Amino acid sequence: MPGTDPDPGASRAVVVTGLGAVSPLGWSLESLWDGLRSGRTAVRPFDRFDNSSHRTHVAAQVDLAAEPGRPRGKPRRLSIADRFSVAAAREAVAQSAIDLDGCRGRTGVYFGSSTGGMFETETYIEALLAAAAGHGKPPALSSLASQQHNGPGDAVARDLGIGGPVQTVSVACVSGAMAIGDAIRAVRRGEVDVAIAGGSDSLCRLTYAGFNSLRSVDERPCRPFRGNRVGLSLGEGAAVLLLESLERALARGARPLALAAGEAATCDAHHMTSPHPEGLGAAEAIREVLARARLDPSEIDFVNAHGTGTPLNDAAEHEALLAVFGDRTPDLPVTSTKSLVGHLLGSAGALEAVATILCLLHREVHPMPDDGTPDPGIRLRLVLGHPLRLARARHALSTSLAFGGANAALVFTRHGDQDPAS
Amino acid sequence: MPHSCSPATEIRTLRVETVITGLGTIGSYGHGREALAAALAEGRPVFSEVDRGARLHREGGARLAALVGERDLSRWVPPTVARRMSFPSRLVVAAARMALAEAGIGATKAAGPHVGVFLSTTFGSGLSTEKLLRQIFLEGAEAAQPFHFSECVANAPAAQLAIAVGARGPNVTLTQRESGPLLAVARGAQAVREGRVDLALAGAVEEVTPLLHAVLDRFGALAREDGTLAEMPRPFDRRRNGFLAGEGVTLLVIEREDAARARDARALARVAWSGAAFDPTATVSDWGEGHVPLAAALHAGLVEAPGGVAGVGAIVSGASGARRGDRIEARVLRAAWGEAPLPPVLVPKAVTGEYGGGILAPGLLALEGAHFGPTPGFAERDPAAGVTPHRGGSLQIPSRVLLTGLASGGGAAWLVLERTS
Repeated sequence: MPGTDPDPGASRAVVVTGLGAVSPLGWSLESLWDGLRSGRTAVRPFDRFDNSSHRTHVAAQVDLAAEPGRPRGKPRRLSIADRFSVAAAREAVAQSAIDLDGCRGRTGVYFGSSTGGMFETETYIEALLAAAAGHGKPPALSSLASQQHNGPGDAVARDLGIGGPVQTVSVACVSGAMAIGDAIRAVRRGEVDVAIAGGSDSLCRLTYAGFNSLRSVDERPCRPFRGNRVGLSLGEGAAVLLLESLERALARGARPLALAAGEAATCDAHHMTSPHPEGLGAAEAIREVLARARLDPSEIDFVNAHGTGTPLNDAAEHEALLAVFGDRTPDLPVTSTKSLVGHLLGSAGALEAVATILCLLHREVHPMPDDGTPDPGIRLRLVLGHPLRLARARHALSTSLAFGGANAALVFTRHGDQDPAS
Repeated sequence: MPHSCSPATEIRTLRVETVITGLGTIGSYGHGREALAAALAEGRPVFSEVDRGARLHREGGARLAALVGERDLSRWVPPTVARRMSFPSRLVVAAARMALAEAGIGATKAAGPHVGVFLSTTFGSGLSTEKLLRQIFLEGAEAAQPFHFSECVANAPAAQLAIAVGARGPNVTLTQRESGPLLAVARGAQAVREGRVDLALAGAVEEVTPLLHAVLDRFGALAREDGTLAEMPRPFDRRRNGFLAGEGVTLLVIEREDAARARDARALARVAWSGAAFDPTATVSDWGEGHVPLAAALHAGLVEAPGGVAGVGAIVSGASGARRGDRIEARVLRAAWGEAPLPPVLVPKAVTGEYGGGILAPGLLALEGAHFGPTPGFAERDPAAGVTPHRGGSLQIPSRVLLTGLASGGGAAWLVLERTS
C-alpha cells in the first residue's frame, strides 16, 4: 500500500441487514436458497427472444409471469432489468425491517449493471432500422424503456424515494461486486447511513450473440472447473444488500446477517477479453481484500468463485487462488453459483455475494451440479452434487473477474463469531 | 436557506489534499487545453452536420452535433495500437497521455498497482454497439464480430487505458449520465486520499453516432431549428428547446498534494469538496421538480467545504439548454445561495455541446483565469429559471469554482475545485 491517510471511519464495522434476490430460481431469497441447495441448474432452453439463429440455445431465464408486484411508476418505462432490481431492493428493505422515513436523504444507492435496459433498446432499434429500410413505422418511444446502464439503480432510488447519492458502476462482470465495495466504503466513511447495493441485468441479444462470437458459450449448462468445461452459460436477475454500520443496526434492534469485512478491486491491464493467465490481478485483489478484512488466508472457510466455466477464466482463477492460498488450496472448498443460475454479468457479483452470505448463515456451501470430472490441472475442493456442511464456517471470499481485466473481491464474516473491532 | 438543514448528501471534505496536475482534452474544439480555451474565449461553438443518410432521424429534427473533427490521434496512440480500439477508447488513451505529459509523469510511474482509472460515460462506444446490433439484426447472430462486442461494453475505454499505460489499480467506469463525470473525479480523488492509489486517471468520454443522435432527437432532447430560431443550445434562455449532443474526452491526473509538491509538479487545482444526491421526482428520461432537497443538499455540503458558500467565486454549470434540466439547475443554485447573489455562472456546454468533459476542463481553465466569452445562444433570461449566465467581459479569477452536474433521471453531483496558490 502506498502512504495512506488514516481514515477516521476505517474501523467502523459495516454489516448486512437485508438481502433480496431475483434469479432464474425465483423472485425471492427463499427460492434462491432452495434452488442453490438443490444443486439443479436453471440453465435450459429459453424463449426471451428468438435464439434459433444463434450458435447456442440455452440460458437461465427468470420467469416474468411470477413477478410478485409491479413497481411504482409507468410500467412501460421500466425495463426488465429495472423490474428485477426494484423487486430485489424491496425484499432487502423488508428483510432489514428498516424504516426509511427520516433517512432517505442519508441513504445511497450503489448499483452495478452491464447492459441495463439493452433488451428493450434492441427491440426499439430493430424496429427503427426496419422503418428506415421502409418496413413499418418508426417505433413508439414508449417502447424504449429505461434504456441506460443506470436504469436499474435509478429505478430503485425512485421506487424507494431515495435522496442520497446514487451511482451506477458498469464494469462488465465485476459491476455488482464493485458497487457493493463502493457501498461498504461509503457507509464506513459515514457518507451515508444506509446503502442499498447490488446489481441487475437481463438477457439480451447483444450479450448472447457477443459471447457466442467469442466462442465462450457452452451449449450445455456450464461446468466450472471441470475437465470437460467449454464455456459459460448466460443468466439474468438482480441481487441487493442493505448495508449500514453495526452500531446503527444494533441501535435499531436489527439483526446483522453478516459483517461486510472487506472489499478490493484491481485490474490485470493485460487483455480486453482474456484474464491474465497467471491470475495476477485476481490474486492481488484477493490479497488486498484479506488485508482489509485483517484475515490470514488460512481463516477463509470457503470461496464463492467467479467460476464461469470458460477454460481461460477457471484456469486463471485457479492460479490466483493457488498464489494466495498455497498448499491449502486443494483443501479449500470452492463453489460457483453460475453453475446453477448462469452468468448474471453486471449482477453476478451481487448475486454471488448474496449466495455467499446465505451459505454463511446456513453454515453450508451450496453445491454445483455433479456433471463432470474436475479438471485434473485444477486442485480445488469443489463442492459437487450436495451441500457441504461447514459447522464452523465464519469467513468467506467471493471473487469476480471481468472483461478488460477488472477484478473485485469481497469478504463476508458471520456476525457474532468475531468481534468486529478486533 | 437554513443552515441547520439535514444534509441529503454525502459530505466529503477531503482531509488529505488531492490535486489535479494534468489535463488532457479533445472535443469539437480541437485537441488540447489551448484549443478549448480559444473556443471558450470566443464563445464559439464548433458544431457540424450529423450524417442523416441512414434515414433514422425524424423530419424537422436536429441536424447538428459537436463532433470531434480532427480524428487523427496517432500522435498519442500509434496506429498499430489504435486499430484494436474503438474511437472512445482511442480518445481516452490520447487524453490520458496528454494529461500525464502535462503532469510530468513518465511511463514507469503511470504503471503499476497504484494507478487507478475512474471514467464516466453515458453511452460508451455507441458505434461499436450500433455495428454489433446491425450485424445481429441484419446479417444474423453469427455475424457478430468479437471486436465490436468487447468494445461495446461501457468499461472498454477504461480497460484499454489500463492496458495502454499498465494501470493495475481499480478500474472503474461510472454510468450516471450528466452527474457521472463529477462522480468519477470524486471517486478518483477519494481513492488517492485513502491511499488505494497514488495516481488516479479520472474523467469522461462520449461518442455521438448518427443513430444515437436520431434517438435523442426523437426523444425531443436536442435543440432544433424553430421558426426563426437557429439550431443552438440556449442554456438558461427563455427560448431554449434542448441540448446539443457533444462528443469528446477530458482526462485528469489526480495525486496527493504533498506528493506533487515533492516532485515539483504544478498543481492545476485542489479537489476541495464533492457531494451527490438524487431527485426521486425525476422521470426515467427527464429532470424532476425536487429542487428544494437538492438545494438543501448542496448548501449543507458547501457550508462544510473550504471557503463555504461565499467562497465559491464562480459556478461552472452543467446547464445545457435542456428545458427542464436548466430550470431545476437554476432553482437549485438560487435556493442554495438564498438571498446572496450568485457568483458568475459559466456555461461551457454552450460551446462544447453536452458531454461530460464539457464542464471538467473549463472548471480548471476558470481557476487559471482563462477568458470566457459570452454564452452563445443566450439572449433572454427565462423567468422560470432566473439565472443569467456569463455575458462575456472580464471575470475576477476565482479561488474556488463549483462544478455542477444534474442528470436526467435524477442523479446529481457537485464538485468544488480550488486554486492552490
